[in-house]
Amino acid sequence: MFKDLLRLERFPTTWCPGCGIGQIMIQLAMVMDELGLNYTNCVIICGIGCTGRLAGYMNVDSIYTLHGRTLPVAEAVKLVNPSLKVIVVSGDGDLASIGGNHLLHATRRNPDLTVLCNNNEVYGLTGGHAGPTTPRDTKTVSSPAGASYDPLNLQNLIKAGANYFYAKTTVYHQVHLRNCLKEAIARPGFAFVDITSQCIENYGRRLGFNSAYEMLLHFRKTYKRAPEGAETLEPYEIGIVRRG
Amino acid sequence: MRRLVQGNEAVFLGALKAGASFFAGYPITPSSEILVLAVEHAARGPAFKFIQSEDELAAANAIIGASLAGAKSFTATSGPGFSLMQEAIGYGHQAEVPTVFVNVQRVGPATGMPTMPAQQDILQTKYGSSGDYYPLVFYPDSVEECYRYAVAAFNAAEESLSPVILLSDAFVGHLNETVNLDDIEVEVVPRSRLPLGTDKRTFTGLAHDEDGRPRTADAVVYQKWLYKVKARHEQVAARYSYFEFQANASSDTLLISYGIVSRVTAPLTSQFALFRPIRILPMLGPELRQCARNYEKIVVIEANDGQYACLVECELKRDVIRVPLLGGRINLDLAKKGLSEKLEREVS
Repeated sequence: MFKDLLRLERFPTTWCPGCGIGQIMIQLAMVMDELGLNYTNCVIICGIGCTGRLAGYMNVDSIYTLHGRTLPVAEAVKLVNPSLKVIVVSGDGDLASIGGNHLLHATRRNPDLTVLCNNNEVYGLTGGHAGPTTPRDTKTVSSPAGASYDPLNLQNLIKAGANYFYAKTTVYHQVHLRNCLKEAIARPGFAFVDITSQCIENYGRRLGFNSAYEMLLHFRKTYKRAPEGAETLEPYEIGIVRRG
Repeated sequence: MRRLVQGNEAVFLGALKAGASFFAGYPITPSSEILVLAVEHAARGPAFKFIQSEDELAAANAIIGASLAGAKSFTATSGPGFSLMQEAIGYGHQAEVPTVFVNVQRVGPATGMPTMPAQQDILQTKYGSSGDYYPLVFYPDSVEECYRYAVAAFNAAEESLSPVILLSDAFVGHLNETVNLDDIEVEVVPRSRLPLGTDKRTFTGLAHDEDGRPRTADAVVYQKWLYKVKARHEQVAARYSYFEFQANASSDTLLISYGIVSRVTAPLTSQFALFRPIRILPMLGPELRQCARNYEKIVVIEANDGQYACLVECELKRDVIRVPLLGGRINLDLAKKGLSEKLEREVS
């Protein structure tokens, strides 16, 4: 049962109603259950931010690391005990901003890690500050006149390595999300799953969404499947690109 | 076998003796020999793992991950890298992770004088990370001691469940002395907890209760945790109360020095009583008070502007005379000159 992987006695979680992280956690638990991953063969490593709290809600050994340091911790765990499946779950701010240097070098070293990036385009826990993935001109607490720069292109960053696995999906596309997780976990090497997710309270409402549901409908409307065999995902395409 | 061994090499060999099987680091003089020895050792077989990290942040966090995954782990750096590692050291105290950080000191702040020797990270070692924590720190002054106290650092880390710091300096690290490390008998403490992949624990930098459950707004839980950890550190520290003391009935002055400076001041034994802390932190309170009791004047001579002196003053609640040896110039003539000036008499 996937519920055995969840630490239900610690529920309710700290996440706001409507948050996308819970959906990611449940999909992860279902995939882990299907693949026979549990506390004897799998560890979860999380960073700081709302997403980081996932570590404490799952029934496996887990590490809630410092801000941005999931990847060095995860790489070391995998090196010391290669028999463990090491899954990193963190936010876009943690992985791409404060931990950006580690992400850059992880693409180079290609360690056998599965990385789930809860990409809500904002620093949600701090109150809704612009982050590395906030789209240009988006108004946030720290960009009242609109974000000044284009967001970091995570796909291109991951594809800087000789071999890579980059999946783009959203919390709305649950089946696609599940398939991405399965393929990422199966890949022997660095597999990055970039999951567009909704932060309703500290992001969506300021952008005019009335509910998480509206944000999900927005994902349904804007994101389309990439054509079969695409080597690059265009903006608002979901799919997997890989080499090696 | 008796052979010429370098201080940094002795640290590495001590780590191996203690059972270390993981090193992560970023090259920085004057500590890099340890990194090179680690990569050479990793090449000999899969039992020892090595990562050359992209920066010191990664190295410090990698050894935390490695320790939790089951390996006794360590890193080696110098002042600027040690600064970058401070957040991880605090994490190690909050999440209770045994690891060893070696800091081979050089002149700072920042890039400073690469790579002249200094002892300028004493207070950084004690206070460099955020929050309250009680680091255990050793500071050897010879090649043999580098070996001995590297082992002690790993043992104390397991017992205290915390990052232990092994301080050194560019002179001690690059000192070559003839020693027979095979003859040194040391005790090795086994791992203190089961590795990852055996249970359902959460290791976290958040304040937490005994089950690892985050408790971020409960002062009572926090205080209970902090005092429990503090008591554990005090108990462990008491088992490692290493120091050297040479009384001198004909002198009214106790001269305190440590690390390379204690080697330099050793010839002054006929003129002063000498005290050398080896487990330099937490402070050797009762030992220091006992040794200082019969001396009118207390002098701390060190390669910084009075960092340990300030801790001694605090501990003894007495005025302490400071003799700083700054800018990497550490020799007996300068020590004598500084002492003569501060004591207003000829020290020869």
